[in-house]
Amino acid sequence: MTLTQPPVPQEAVAPADDPTRASVVAPHRPGRAPLAGAAFLAPAVALVVLLLVVPFAFTIYRSFFDDNGFTRSWVGLDNYTAMFTDPAFGQSVLNTFFWVVGTLVLPVGLGLAIAVGTWKLKLGALARFAVILPYAISGSATAVVWTFMLSTDGGLDTLLRLLGLDPLISQWLLQWPLNTVMMIVATTWQATGACVILFLVGLQSIPPSTLEAAQLDGASGWRLFWAVTFPQLRPMTIVVVGISIVGSLKVFDQVLLLTNGGPGTASETLALTMYRETFTLSRYGSGAAVAVFLTVVVVAASYAYLRRQLRPAQS
Amino acid sequence: MPHPIPGGPAMTRRTALALGGVGLLTATLAACARGTDTRPSAPGTVTLNSDNPTWGPGYDAASAVLEARIGYRITSRSIASVANYNQIIRMTAQTNSTTDLIKWTNGYRLQDIARADILTDLNEVWDDAIGRGWVDPAQRESFSYEGKAYGVPLYKSYYAVFYSKRAFAENGIEVPTTFDGLMGVAQTLKDAGITPFLAPGATTWESEIWFMQLLASIDPDYYAAVTTDKASYVDDPAREAMDVWSGMYADGFFSAPDVTSNDLPGLVSEGRFGMMLYGTWFANTLLAAGLTDDDIGFFRVPPRASSTAPAVLVESGSLSVPVKAHRRGAAVDVARNWLATDVQEAWVGFLGDTSPNPAALPKSDLVKDLAADIAASKPTELIRYWEASPTPLVEGNVQDLGSFMVTPTKAHGESTLRSMEARARTEWKIWDAA
Repeated sequence: MTLTQPPVPQEAVAPADDPTRASVVAPHRPGRAPLAGAAFLAPAVALVVLLLVVPFAFTIYRSFFDDNGFTRSWVGLDNYTAMFTDPAFGQSVLNTFFWVVGTLVLPVGLGLAIAVGTWKLKLGALARFAVILPYAISGSATAVVWTFMLSTDGGLDTLLRLLGLDPLISQWLLQWPLNTVMMIVATTWQATGACVILFLVGLQSIPPSTLEAAQLDGASGWRLFWAVTFPQLRPMTIVVVGISIVGSLKVFDQVLLLTNGGPGTASETLALTMYRETFTLSRYGSGAAVAVFLTVVVVAASYAYLRRQLRPAQS
Repeated sequence: MPHPIPGGPAMTRRTALALGGVGLLTATLAACARGTDTRPSAPGTVTLNSDNPTWGPGYDAASAVLEARIGYRITSRSIASVANYNQIIRMTAQTNSTTDLIKWTNGYRLQDIARADILTDLNEVWDDAIGRGWVDPAQRESFSYEGKAYGVPLYKSYYAVFYSKRAFAENGIEVPTTFDGLMGVAQTLKDAGITPFLAPGATTWESEIWFMQLLASIDPDYYAAVTTDKASYVDDPAREAMDVWSGMYADGFFSAPDVTSNDLPGLVSEGRFGMMLYGTWFANTLLAAGLTDDDIGFFRVPPRASSTAPAVLVESGSLSVPVKAHRRGAAVDVARNWLATDVQEAWVGFLGDTSPNPAALPKSDLVKDLAADIAASKPTELIRYWEASPTPLVEGNVQDLGSFMVTPTKAHGESTLRSMEARARTEWKIWDAA
């Protein structure tokens, strides 16, 4: 929930000694409150344990076995040793890192720029609509469109030929790292709209008086953005960057549909490696080891990022 | 101001949550219940699970004949995603939630599940079918593991060159009978502005097609040996195959490797199609796309040297019976009668492909001519690469070959073979130890 729930502004929370609240609070009965709290929490906790914790614990357990779906034998850390010594896994980690950096720079950066740049423009809504529209298209449909665009003699090659830019024609999806870069561009086309929407919500929550005060003090343009607007967008930026990091670490559908991780394993990401080991090769133990590694990376990245960003401001 | 919507007692948040919770629980329990598809089927039917959703009418056509023979029809269902299908079969075939019959592949992929003791021994069925002349006995080995057969051929396809009759006629080209003749045809087409070979495979299984064909044309015995761990991937025939393949790329004989076979009908209508080496099962797709025997023809890739025995690559599917099938006896009966000539005639009448039963021929002249050619010349039949070695070895090597198709230099050919050989050493050790 921390990823999707921006911090609640302090003024929105009623003070504890608010007389209107005091009148509706039930009289305190010792011993009942913790029990009632536990009862309210139980369904959520049960679901999380059942659907997340238990499967994850089983995945960890399974990663210590050589498991082909029919027979299972204990191999200790062999699956992890094999994973870390496989060059394809190193490539997969590198590609996943590219995705994290790429989706931070492009959809998040562009989303912020478009939201701030078009916020108060007359035809800004029209520009934003054009950017947000691809967000309504599913990931699979996006991949189909971009396969047509990026395959040999596809839409992009035809366009370049029309413009007389033949030397720029490339094997967009067949050469690494160009294929990973192009897939990030395709994802940017689709995902920027979501970032624009979130940043617009953030911009609308900035009190106009703050901006007016800054403008009266002579701030404008870049100065106004860096010194006033951007700091005020901090809660929303935390959410957008957090979602982007987690989303890019587990990127799967675009890569599967655009390059299938290839040629060879050149454009594979961690999620695809996990899929290949588990569902193509039926090596459930090896797939589980990749899943555990990916989970640890996602949780560690999220924890490190949010812990730093959501730390209470020092007085 | 009065409330705009008059009504009865308002639903509280707790009531809404409780109702939602009960609904969710009910849905979860319902999802855990056994579906009708995994219960015993209706009397007089056996269930079949497959990964090809378009084959339903074919099973119906074959069922009409089967019903007359043994009183059972096939009720087919399918899961379109091959990866999902494989996982579902691996899981359900161990339980009584399985269907009575399953479609699977032959070769090492069949051996992989056969050694988990989840399939019925069909040796008697094979003895019977061979005795009646319904199947080539040479096929039995690719359906067997440790002397027991675990499936009968569901279908049988060959790998042959689809060619444009129009392009050949317009450029005065005859169907080649030698490998050098085939290269000459490719050069003529290229000179006429037509890309000689449509060759998909950069990131798909199709990267194996030219590799296995070149090995089969250069040395069929070596192909059989290298796929069964009796030879090395860095031996001379494999090096020669990669050199020839690389040379053909250098000569501009191949399309970009990220084309798809589905481009073929469009290219034919634009007059830009030359040839494509592919499975004969694809003929059905072309006929469905409106092409006819007048547009497309077939020929086999000739041996590279005249002294080499002709060989053809064969793809087959397996019709297998899980041990835990509800109607196991009836399913074995269906398998026993599946290869009967009248059942196969109905089946290939739908498929438009060749049959495992040499006496059953499809209606289309396209495949009929190829089947007649194979029956007359009796080439060595080699199992397709996809099923010819353990799955992880094939999957990894196919990825390497796809990578080679993107950068088809001689040096990359060498490094591809070294990578394939290194994987072979690892994977054979794992296979033998299992």
